[in-house]
Amino acid sequence: MDFDFSAVLDSWQYLAGGLGLTILLSLLTVILSLIFGIAVALGRMYGPRWLSVPLVFYIDSMRAVPVLVVLIWIYFALPIVTGISLPPFWAALVALTFHICAYVAEIVRAGISSVRAGQTQAGLVLGMSEAQVMRKIILPQALIRMLPSLGSIVSITIKDTAIAAVIAVPELMKRTETVSGQSFRPMEAFTVAMVVYFLILFPATRAIDLIYKNIAYRGRS
Amino acid sequence: MSTVAAQIQNRKNADQTPVVEYRSIRKQYGEFVAIGSVTARVNKGEVVCLIGPSGSGKSTLLRTTNALEQIQGGELLFDGKPLPASKAGIRQVRQRMGMVFQNFELFPHKTVLENITVGPRTVLKVSEQEARKRAVALLDKVGLADKADKYPANLSGGQQQRVAIARALAMEPEVMLFDEPTSALDPETIGEVLNVMKRLAEEGMTMIVVTHEMTFARRVADWVVVFDRGNIVEQGPAAQIFDNPQAERTRDFLSHLGWDG
Ligand SMILES: Nc1ncnc2c1ncn2[C@@H]1O[C@H](COP(=O)(O)OP(=O)(O)O)[C@@H](O)[C@H]1O
Ligand SMILES: [Mg+2]
Repeated sequence: MDFDFSAVLDSWQYLAGGLGLTILLSLLTVILSLIFGIAVALGRMYGPRWLSVPLVFYIDSMRAVPVLVVLIWIYFALPIVTGISLPPFWAALVALTFHICAYVAEIVRAGISSVRAGQTQAGLVLGMSEAQVMRKIILPQALIRMLPSLGSIVSITIKDTAIAAVIAVPELMKRTETVSGQSFRPMEAFTVAMVVYFLILFPATRAIDLIYKNIAYRGRS
Repeated sequence: MSTVAAQIQNRKNADQTPVVEYRSIRKQYGEFVAIGSVTARVNKGEVVCLIGPSGSGKSTLLRTTNALEQIQGGELLFDGKPLPASKAGIRQVRQRMGMVFQNFELFPHKTVLENITVGPRTVLKVSEQEARKRAVALLDKVGLADKADKYPANLSGGQQQRVAIARALAMEPEVMLFDEPTSALDPETIGEVLNVMKRLAEEGMTMIVVTHEMTFARRVADWVVVFDRGNIVEQGPAAQIFDNPQAERTRDFLSHLGWDG
Protein backbone atom coordinates (compact mmCIF):
# COMPACT_ATOMS: atom_id res chain seq x y z
CA MET A 1 0.00 0.00 0.00
CA ASP A 2 1.28 3.47 -0.74
CA PHE A 3 1.07 6.45 1.57
CA ASP A 4 -0.41 9.72 0.38
CA PHE A 5 -0.28 12.54 2.87
CA SER A 6 -1.54 15.29 0.56
CA ALA A 7 -5.17 15.15 1.67
CA VAL A 8 -4.18 15.15 5.34
CA LEU A 9 -1.61 17.91 4.94
CA ASP A 10 -4.14 20.06 3.09
CA SER A 11 -6.13 20.07 6.34
CA TRP A 12 -3.20 21.36 8.38
CA GLN A 13 -5.00 24.48 9.55
CA TYR A 14 -7.91 22.44 10.79
CA LEU A 15 -5.53 20.06 12.60
CA ALA A 16 -3.48 22.95 13.99
CA GLY A 17 -6.68 24.33 15.52
CA GLY A 18 -7.17 20.97 17.20
CA LEU A 19 -3.61 21.02 18.46
CA GLY A 20 -4.21 24.46 19.96
CA LEU A 21 -7.16 23.12 21.90
CA THR A 22 -5.14 20.08 23.04
CA ILE A 23 -2.44 22.37 24.37
CA LEU A 24 -4.96 24.66 26.06
CA LEU A 25 -6.74 21.72 27.69
CA SER A 26 -3.41 20.25 28.84
CA LEU A 27 -2.14 23.50 30.28
CA LEU A 28 -5.33 24.24 32.18
CA THR A 29 -5.45 20.67 33.48
CA VAL A 30 -1.84 20.77 34.69
CA ILE A 31 -2.20 24.15 36.38
CA LEU A 32 -5.49 23.28 38.09
CA SER A 33 -4.22 19.82 39.09
CA LEU A 34 -1.14 21.38 40.65
CA ILE A 35 -3.14 23.91 42.67
CA PHE A 36 -5.77 21.41 43.81
CA GLY A 37 -3.16 18.66 44.20
CA ILE A 38 -1.21 20.78 46.70
CA ALA A 39 -4.45 21.57 48.54
CA VAL A 40 -5.49 17.90 48.63
CA ALA A 41 -2.03 16.80 49.82
CA LEU A 42 -1.98 19.41 52.60
CA GLY A 43 -5.53 18.52 53.59
CA ARG A 44 -4.63 14.87 53.71
CA MET A 45 -1.42 15.39 55.68
CA TYR A 46 -2.38 18.14 58.09
CA GLY A 47 -6.15 18.44 57.90
CA PRO A 48 -8.64 17.14 60.46
CA ARG A 49 -9.81 13.53 60.19
CA TRP A 50 -13.18 14.39 58.71
CA LEU A 51 -11.25 15.91 55.81
CA SER A 52 -8.35 13.50 55.43
CA VAL A 53 -10.48 10.35 55.33
CA PRO A 54 -12.55 11.37 52.28
CA LEU A 55 -9.44 12.77 50.60
CA VAL A 56 -7.65 9.45 50.92
CA PHE A 57 -10.74 7.76 49.51
CA TYR A 58 -10.79 10.22 46.61
CA ILE A 59 -7.11 9.64 45.81
CA ASP A 60 -7.38 5.86 45.99
CA SER A 61 -10.53 5.71 43.90
CA MET A 62 -9.15 8.00 41.19
CA ARG A 63 -6.13 5.77 40.88
CA ALA A 64 -8.39 2.75 40.53
CA VAL A 65 -10.69 4.11 37.81
CA PRO A 66 -9.72 4.78 34.17
CA VAL A 67 -9.86 8.45 33.24
CA LEU A 68 -12.19 7.59 30.33
CA VAL A 69 -14.77 6.27 32.79
CA VAL A 70 -14.50 9.47 34.82
CA LEU A 71 -14.99 11.55 31.71
CA ILE A 72 -18.02 9.66 30.48
CA TRP A 73 -19.53 9.69 33.93
CA ILE A 74 -19.11 13.44 34.29
CA TYR A 75 -20.42 14.14 30.79
CA PHE A 76 -23.35 11.73 30.71
CA ALA A 77 -24.24 10.73 34.27
CA LEU A 78 -23.63 13.96 36.16
CA PRO A 79 -26.43 15.83 34.34
CA ILE A 80 -28.86 13.04 35.19
CA VAL A 81 -27.83 12.85 38.85
CA THR A 82 -27.40 16.54 39.60
CA GLY A 83 -29.05 18.41 36.77
CA ILE A 84 -25.73 20.13 36.01
CA SER A 85 -24.61 19.55 32.45
CA LEU A 86 -21.26 20.79 31.25
CA PRO A 87 -20.28 21.65 27.67
CA PRO A 88 -17.80 19.08 26.26
CA PHE A 89 -14.62 21.15 26.75
CA TRP A 90 -15.49 21.92 30.37
CA ALA A 91 -16.53 18.35 31.07
CA ALA A 92 -13.16 17.20 29.72
CA LEU A 93 -11.29 19.78 31.81
CA VAL A 94 -13.14 18.76 34.98
CA ALA A 95 -12.66 15.05 34.36
CA LEU A 96 -8.96 15.34 33.52
CA THR A 97 -8.29 17.65 36.46
CA PHE A 98 -10.26 15.43 38.83
CA HIS A 99 -8.20 12.43 37.74
CA ILE A 100 -4.72 13.96 37.38
CA CYS A 101 -5.10 15.92 40.62
CA ALA A 102 -5.15 12.68 42.61
CA TYR A 103 -1.75 11.70 41.20
CA VAL A 104 -0.34 15.17 41.78
CA ALA A 105 -1.56 15.05 45.38
CA GLU A 106 0.43 11.88 45.97
CA ILE A 107 3.52 13.36 44.35
CA VAL A 108 3.19 16.49 46.48
CA ARG A 109 2.79 14.38 49.61
CA ALA A 110 5.92 12.40 48.83
CA GLY A 111 7.79 15.63 48.05
CA ILE A 112 6.81 17.27 51.32
CA SER A 113 7.63 14.15 53.35
CA SER A 114 11.06 13.97 51.76
CA VAL A 115 12.18 17.34 53.13
CA ARG A 116 13.86 16.52 56.39
CA ALA A 117 12.50 17.64 59.77
CA GLY A 118 15.50 19.87 60.44
CA GLN A 119 14.29 22.28 57.77
CA THR A 120 10.97 22.72 59.55
CA GLN A 121 12.79 23.26 62.81
CA ALA A 122 15.11 25.81 61.25
CA GLY A 123 12.04 27.77 60.17
CA LEU A 124 10.25 27.37 63.49
CA VAL A 125 13.21 28.62 65.54
CA LEU A 126 13.14 31.85 63.56
CA GLY A 127 9.66 32.34 64.98
CA MET A 128 7.76 31.37 61.84
CA SER A 129 4.31 29.81 62.10
CA GLU A 130 3.77 26.32 60.75
CA ALA A 131 1.93 27.76 57.75
CA GLN A 132 4.82 30.14 56.99
CA VAL A 133 7.31 27.28 57.25
CA MET A 134 5.23 25.25 54.80
CA ARG A 135 4.87 28.10 52.32
CA LYS A 136 8.36 29.58 52.48
CA ILE A 137 10.59 26.64 53.35
CA ILE A 138 9.07 23.23 52.70
CA LEU A 139 6.84 23.62 49.63
CA PRO A 140 9.43 25.39 47.44
CA GLN A 141 11.96 22.64 48.12
CA ALA A 142 9.34 19.94 47.65
CA LEU A 143 8.29 21.44 44.29
CA ILE A 144 11.88 21.40 43.05
CA ARG A 145 12.28 17.79 44.13
CA MET A 146 8.98 16.92 42.43
CA LEU A 147 9.95 18.33 39.04
CA PRO A 148 10.82 14.99 37.38
CA SER A 149 7.52 13.49 38.54
CA LEU A 150 5.64 16.59 37.46
CA GLY A 151 7.29 16.18 34.06
CA SER A 152 5.64 12.77 33.79
CA ILE A 153 2.35 14.32 34.83
CA VAL A 154 2.65 16.85 32.01
CA SER A 155 3.21 14.16 29.42
CA ILE A 156 0.48 11.91 30.79
CA THR A 157 -1.91 14.87 30.75
CA ILE A 158 -1.17 15.75 27.13
CA LYS A 159 -1.72 12.15 26.11
CA ASP A 160 -4.87 11.82 28.21
CA THR A 161 -6.50 14.82 26.54
CA ALA A 162 -7.02 12.55 23.51
CA ILE A 163 -9.92 10.89 25.31
CA ALA A 164 -11.85 14.14 25.03
CA ALA A 165 -12.48 13.06 21.41
CA VAL A 166 -15.04 10.64 22.83
CA ILE A 167 -17.34 13.50 23.80
CA ALA A 168 -16.53 15.42 20.60
CA VAL A 169 -14.22 18.08 22.00
CA PRO A 170 -12.58 19.32 18.77
CA GLU A 171 -9.01 18.74 19.96
CA LEU A 172 -6.23 17.11 17.96
CA MET A 173 -7.48 13.53 18.27
CA LYS A 174 -11.06 14.35 17.34
CA ARG A 175 -10.00 16.39 14.33
CA THR A 176 -7.64 13.63 13.26
CA GLU A 177 -10.59 11.25 13.27
CA THR A 178 -12.61 13.72 11.21
CA VAL A 179 -9.83 14.19 8.66
CA SER A 180 -9.28 10.46 8.52
CA GLY A 181 -12.98 9.87 7.77
CA GLN A 182 -13.27 12.55 5.15
CA SER A 183 -10.03 11.79 3.31
CA PHE A 184 -10.30 8.02 3.57
CA ARG A 185 -6.64 8.17 4.63
CA PRO A 186 -6.71 6.93 8.27
CA MET A 187 -3.10 5.69 8.25
CA GLU A 188 -1.77 9.02 7.11
CA ALA A 189 -4.01 11.02 9.42
CA PHE A 190 -3.04 9.07 12.54
CA THR A 191 0.62 9.03 11.53
CA VAL A 192 0.54 12.81 11.41
CA ALA A 193 -1.19 12.91 14.82
CA MET A 194 1.42 10.59 16.27
CA VAL A 195 4.29 12.71 14.99
CA VAL A 196 2.66 15.90 16.28
CA TYR A 197 2.07 14.43 19.77
CA PHE A 198 5.68 13.29 19.82
CA LEU A 199 6.98 16.67 18.68
CA ILE A 200 5.10 18.37 21.53
CA LEU A 201 5.81 15.84 24.25
CA PHE A 202 9.43 15.12 23.60
CA PRO A 203 10.71 18.70 23.95
CA ALA A 204 8.34 19.36 26.86
CA THR A 205 9.65 16.46 28.93
CA ARG A 206 13.23 17.20 27.89
CA ALA A 207 12.86 20.84 28.91
CA ILE A 208 11.57 19.87 32.34
CA ASP A 209 14.45 17.42 32.82
CA LEU A 210 16.90 20.12 31.83
CA ILE A 211 15.41 22.66 34.21
CA TYR A 212 15.54 20.07 36.97
CA LYS A 213 19.19 19.25 36.29
CA ASN A 214 20.05 22.90 36.64
CA ILE A 215 18.20 23.61 39.88
CA ALA A 216 18.14 20.24 41.67
CA TYR A 217 20.72 21.49 44.16
CA ARG A 218 18.25 24.12 45.34
CA GLY A 219 15.97 21.40 46.63
CA ARG A 220 18.65 19.36 48.36
CA SER A 221 18.86 20.04 52.05
CA MET B 1 30.59 30.98 102.56
CA SER B 2 31.02 27.64 100.78
CA THR B 3 33.07 27.63 97.60
CA VAL B 4 30.05 26.54 95.56
CA ALA B 5 27.96 29.45 96.78
CA ALA B 6 30.85 31.79 96.11
CA GLN B 7 31.24 30.44 92.60
CA ILE B 8 27.59 31.04 91.88
CA GLN B 9 27.77 34.57 93.23
CA ASN B 10 30.85 35.30 91.21
CA ARG B 11 29.14 34.40 87.95
CA LYS B 12 28.64 37.12 85.40
CA ASN B 13 25.57 39.25 86.13
CA ALA B 14 24.62 36.92 88.98
CA ASP B 15 22.55 39.71 90.52
CA GLN B 16 20.28 40.05 87.49
CA THR B 17 17.40 37.93 86.30
CA PRO B 18 18.91 34.96 84.43
CA VAL B 19 18.23 34.84 80.70
CA VAL B 20 17.34 31.17 80.96
CA GLU B 21 16.63 29.21 84.08
CA TYR B 22 16.01 25.47 84.19
CA ARG B 23 14.21 24.36 87.34
CA SER B 24 14.09 20.59 87.84
CA ILE B 25 13.46 20.00 84.15
CA ARG B 26 12.31 16.49 83.28
CA LYS B 27 11.89 15.21 79.75
CA GLN B 28 10.63 11.80 78.69
CA TYR B 29 10.10 10.17 75.33
CA GLY B 30 7.31 7.82 76.27
CA GLU B 31 8.70 5.74 79.12
CA PHE B 32 12.30 6.68 78.36
CA VAL B 33 13.68 9.38 80.62
CA ALA B 34 15.96 11.59 78.50
CA ILE B 35 16.40 14.21 81.23
CA GLY B 36 15.88 13.24 84.86
CA SER B 37 15.96 16.50 86.73
CA VAL B 38 18.08 19.38 85.58
CA THR B 39 18.51 22.66 87.40
CA ALA B 40 20.79 25.27 85.93
CA ARG B 41 20.85 28.92 85.00
CA VAL B 42 22.31 31.05 82.26
CA ASN B 43 23.05 34.64 83.16
CA LYS B 44 23.13 37.60 80.85
CA GLY B 45 26.30 37.72 78.78
CA GLU B 46 27.48 34.30 79.87
CA VAL B 47 28.73 31.51 77.65
CA VAL B 48 27.52 28.23 79.14
CA CYS B 49 28.86 25.04 77.59
CA LEU B 50 27.04 21.75 77.93
CA ILE B 51 29.41 18.80 77.69
CA GLY B 52 29.06 15.08 78.24
CA PRO B 53 28.90 11.76 76.45
CA SER B 54 26.65 11.45 73.46
CA GLY B 55 23.11 10.43 74.31
CA SER B 56 23.33 12.12 77.70
CA GLY B 57 20.56 14.65 76.95
CA LYS B 58 22.47 17.81 75.97
CA SER B 59 20.59 18.39 72.70
CA THR B 60 17.33 17.54 74.38
CA LEU B 61 17.88 20.18 77.05
CA LEU B 62 18.85 22.74 74.42
CA ARG B 63 15.70 21.94 72.44
CA THR B 64 13.44 22.34 75.46
CA THR B 65 14.80 25.88 75.79
CA ASN B 66 12.96 27.09 72.68
CA ALA B 67 10.11 24.61 73.02
CA LEU B 68 11.15 22.38 70.14
CA GLU B 69 10.60 19.73 72.81
CA GLN B 70 7.93 19.79 75.50
CA ILE B 71 8.96 19.15 79.10
CA GLN B 72 7.08 16.76 81.35
CA GLY B 73 8.15 18.28 84.63
CA GLY B 74 9.79 21.29 86.20
CA GLU B 75 9.77 24.82 84.99
CA LEU B 76 11.66 26.70 82.34
CA LEU B 77 12.02 30.46 82.69
CA PHE B 78 13.07 32.77 79.92
CA ASP B 79 13.86 36.29 81.07
CA GLY B 80 12.21 35.45 84.38
CA LYS B 81 8.94 34.26 82.89
CA PRO B 82 7.74 30.71 82.27
CA LEU B 83 7.61 29.67 78.61
CA PRO B 84 4.13 30.54 77.32
CA ALA B 85 1.75 27.73 76.49
CA SER B 86 0.18 29.28 73.39
CA LYS B 87 1.63 28.82 69.92
CA ALA B 88 1.77 32.57 69.42
CA GLY B 89 3.55 33.00 72.73
CA ILE B 90 6.12 30.37 71.82
CA ARG B 91 6.74 32.07 68.47
CA GLN B 92 7.43 35.32 70.31
CA VAL B 93 9.96 33.59 72.55
CA ARG B 94 11.63 31.89 69.58
CA GLN B 95 12.12 35.25 67.90
CA ARG B 96 14.24 36.24 70.86
CA MET B 97 16.39 33.08 70.77
CA GLY B 98 18.71 32.13 67.93
CA MET B 99 19.52 28.50 67.20
CA VAL B 100 22.35 26.93 65.24
CA PHE B 101 22.12 23.26 64.27
CA GLN B 102 24.75 20.61 63.80
CA ASN B 103 23.74 20.18 60.14
CA PHE B 104 23.43 23.93 59.45
CA GLU B 105 19.92 23.52 58.01
CA LEU B 106 20.31 26.40 55.59
CA PHE B 107 17.41 26.74 53.17
CA PRO B 108 18.78 25.28 49.91
CA HIS B 109 16.30 27.09 47.65
CA LYS B 110 17.32 30.51 48.93
CA THR B 111 20.51 32.42 48.34
CA VAL B 112 22.81 33.17 51.24
CA LEU B 113 21.33 36.65 51.50
CA GLU B 114 17.75 35.38 51.36
CA ASN B 115 18.53 32.82 54.05
CA ILE B 116 19.40 35.69 56.33
CA THR B 117 16.56 38.02 55.36
CA VAL B 118 13.72 35.50 55.39
CA GLY B 119 13.34 35.53 59.18
CA PRO B 120 13.24 39.31 59.65
CA ARG B 121 11.07 39.71 56.53
CA THR B 122 8.52 37.03 57.40
CA VAL B 123 8.43 37.22 61.15
CA LEU B 124 9.44 40.75 62.11
CA LYS B 125 7.95 42.32 58.96
CA VAL B 126 11.15 44.30 58.39
CA SER B 127 11.28 46.06 55.01
CA GLU B 128 13.18 44.39 52.18
CA GLN B 129 15.72 47.18 52.12
CA GLU B 130 16.31 47.18 55.85
CA ALA B 131 16.58 43.37 55.97
CA ARG B 132 19.14 43.41 53.15
CA LYS B 133 21.20 46.06 54.84
CA ARG B 134 21.29 44.09 58.05
CA ALA B 135 22.09 40.85 56.20
CA VAL B 136 25.00 42.41 54.33
CA ALA B 137 26.42 43.71 57.60
CA LEU B 138 26.08 40.30 59.23
CA LEU B 139 27.72 38.57 56.27
CA ASP B 140 30.57 40.98 56.59
CA LYS B 141 30.82 40.16 60.27
CA VAL B 142 31.11 36.41 59.61
CA GLY B 143 33.55 37.07 56.76
CA LEU B 144 31.31 36.04 53.87
CA ALA B 145 30.37 39.36 52.26
CA ASP B 146 31.31 37.99 48.83
CA LYS B 147 28.94 35.01 49.08
CA ALA B 148 25.64 36.92 49.34
CA ASP B 149 24.26 35.70 46.00
CA LYS B 150 25.55 32.13 46.19
CA TYR B 151 23.36 29.17 47.07
CA PRO B 152 24.21 27.10 50.16
CA ALA B 153 25.14 24.14 47.95
CA ASN B 154 28.08 26.18 46.67
CA LEU B 155 29.58 26.80 50.11
CA SER B 156 31.87 24.69 52.27
CA GLY B 157 30.54 23.34 55.56
CA GLY B 158 32.31 26.00 57.58
CA GLN B 159 30.92 28.74 55.36
CA GLN B 160 27.42 27.28 55.61
CA GLN B 161 27.60 27.22 59.37
CA ARG B 162 28.75 30.84 59.46
CA VAL B 163 25.77 31.78 57.30
CA ALA B 164 23.55 29.86 59.72
CA ILE B 165 24.96 31.92 62.57
CA ALA B 166 24.29 35.12 60.61
CA ARG B 167 20.74 33.92 59.91
CA ALA B 168 20.12 33.47 63.63
CA LEU B 169 21.72 36.81 64.49
CA ALA B 170 19.51 38.61 61.97
CA MET B 171 16.62 38.21 64.41
CA GLU B 172 18.68 40.12 67.00
CA PRO B 173 18.25 37.42 69.62
CA GLU B 174 18.92 37.78 73.33
CA VAL B 175 20.46 34.34 73.56
CA MET B 176 22.05 31.98 71.03
CA LEU B 177 21.71 28.20 71.27
CA PHE B 178 24.36 26.10 69.53
CA ASP B 179 23.94 22.33 69.14
CA GLU B 180 27.33 20.87 68.27
CA PRO B 181 27.93 23.53 65.64
CA THR B 182 31.25 22.06 64.49
CA SER B 183 30.56 18.33 64.72
CA ALA B 184 29.63 17.99 61.04
CA LEU B 185 32.60 20.00 59.79
CA ASP B 186 35.88 19.02 58.20
CA PRO B 187 38.68 19.66 60.68
CA GLU B 188 40.13 22.49 58.60
CA THR B 189 36.92 24.54 58.73
CA ILE B 190 36.14 24.08 62.43
CA GLY B 191 38.39 26.97 63.41
CA GLU B 192 36.59 29.57 61.31
CA VAL B 193 33.27 28.76 62.98
CA LEU B 194 34.73 28.70 66.47
CA ASN B 195 36.36 32.07 65.80
CA VAL B 196 33.01 33.60 64.87
CA MET B 197 31.50 32.16 68.05
CA LYS B 198 34.38 33.42 70.14
CA ARG B 199 33.95 36.93 68.77
CA LEU B 200 30.25 36.77 69.47
CA ALA B 201 31.02 35.82 73.06
CA GLU B 202 33.43 38.73 73.39
CA GLU B 203 30.70 41.07 72.21
CA GLY B 204 28.65 39.96 75.19
CA MET B 205 26.17 37.61 73.53
CA THR B 206 24.55 35.15 75.92
CA MET B 207 25.28 31.68 74.55
CA ILE B 208 24.40 28.10 75.40
CA VAL B 209 26.73 25.78 73.53
CA VAL B 210 26.61 22.01 73.28
CA THR B 211 30.08 21.03 72.15
CA HIS B 212 32.80 18.43 72.08
CA GLU B 213 35.43 21.11 71.42
CA MET B 214 37.01 21.06 74.84
CA THR B 215 39.66 23.64 74.02
CA PHE B 216 36.93 26.06 73.00
CA ALA B 217 34.91 25.34 76.12
CA ARG B 218 37.95 25.76 78.35
CA ARG B 219 38.85 29.13 76.79
CA VAL B 220 35.48 30.69 76.07
CA ALA B 221 32.96 29.26 78.52
CA ASP B 222 32.16 31.12 81.71
CA TRP B 223 30.31 28.15 83.07
CA VAL B 224 30.37 24.49 82.14
CA VAL B 225 27.66 21.94 82.77
CA VAL B 226 28.63 18.27 82.62
CA PHE B 227 25.90 15.84 81.63
CA ASP B 228 25.65 12.12 82.02
CA ARG B 229 22.61 9.94 81.42
CA GLY B 230 20.09 12.73 81.59
CA ASN B 231 21.42 14.44 84.68
CA ILE B 232 23.99 17.02 85.62
CA VAL B 233 27.07 15.41 87.09
CA GLU B 234 28.81 18.64 87.93
CA GLN B 235 28.74 22.30 86.98
CA GLY B 236 31.14 25.09 87.63
CA PRO B 237 33.54 27.61 86.13
CA ALA B 238 35.46 26.30 83.11
CA ALA B 239 38.73 26.37 85.02
CA GLN B 240 37.38 24.11 87.71
CA ILE B 241 35.72 21.62 85.39
CA PHE B 242 38.76 21.21 83.19
CA ASP B 243 41.61 21.69 85.64
CA ASN B 244 40.16 20.36 88.84
CA PRO B 245 37.03 18.32 88.18
CA GLN B 246 35.25 17.22 91.33
CA ALA B 247 33.20 14.31 89.98
CA GLU B 248 34.63 10.95 89.00
CA ARG B 249 32.41 10.90 85.89
CA THR B 250 33.71 14.25 84.73
CA ARG B 251 37.28 12.97 84.98
CA ASP B 252 36.31 9.79 83.12
CA PHE B 253 34.60 11.75 80.38
CA LEU B 254 37.48 14.20 79.94
CA SER B 255 40.15 11.53 79.93
CA HIS B 256 38.06 9.55 77.48
CA LEU B 257 38.27 12.54 75.14
CA GLY B 258 42.01 12.69 75.69
CA TRP B 259 41.83 15.89 77.71
CA ASP B 260 44.83 16.19 79.99
CA GLY B 261 44.42 19.74 81.27
N1 LIG C 1 12.74 12.09 69.45
C1 LIG C 1 13.25 11.16 70.30
N2 LIG C 1 12.54 10.06 70.60
C2 LIG C 1 13.03 9.14 71.47
N3 LIG C 1 14.22 9.23 72.09
C3 LIG C 1 14.97 10.32 71.83
C4 LIG C 1 14.52 11.35 70.92
N4 LIG C 1 15.47 12.29 70.86
C5 LIG C 1 16.46 11.89 71.69
N5 LIG C 1 16.16 10.70 72.25
C6 LIG C 1 16.99 9.96 73.24
O1 LIG C 1 17.26 10.81 74.32
C7 LIG C 1 18.59 10.64 74.77
C8 LIG C 1 19.29 11.98 74.79
O2 LIG C 1 19.52 12.39 73.45
P1 LIG C 1 20.25 13.74 73.09
O3 LIG C 1 19.69 14.84 73.89
O4 LIG C 1 20.20 13.86 71.62
O5 LIG C 1 21.73 13.42 73.57
P2 LIG C 1 23.06 14.25 73.30
O6 LIG C 1 22.71 15.49 72.57
O7 LIG C 1 23.64 14.48 74.65
O8 LIG C 1 23.93 13.35 72.49
C9 LIG C 1 19.24 9.63 73.87
O9 LIG C 1 19.21 8.36 74.49
C10 LIG C 1 18.35 9.62 72.65
O10 LIG C 1 18.33 8.35 72.04
MG1 LIG D 1 23.24 16.01 70.61
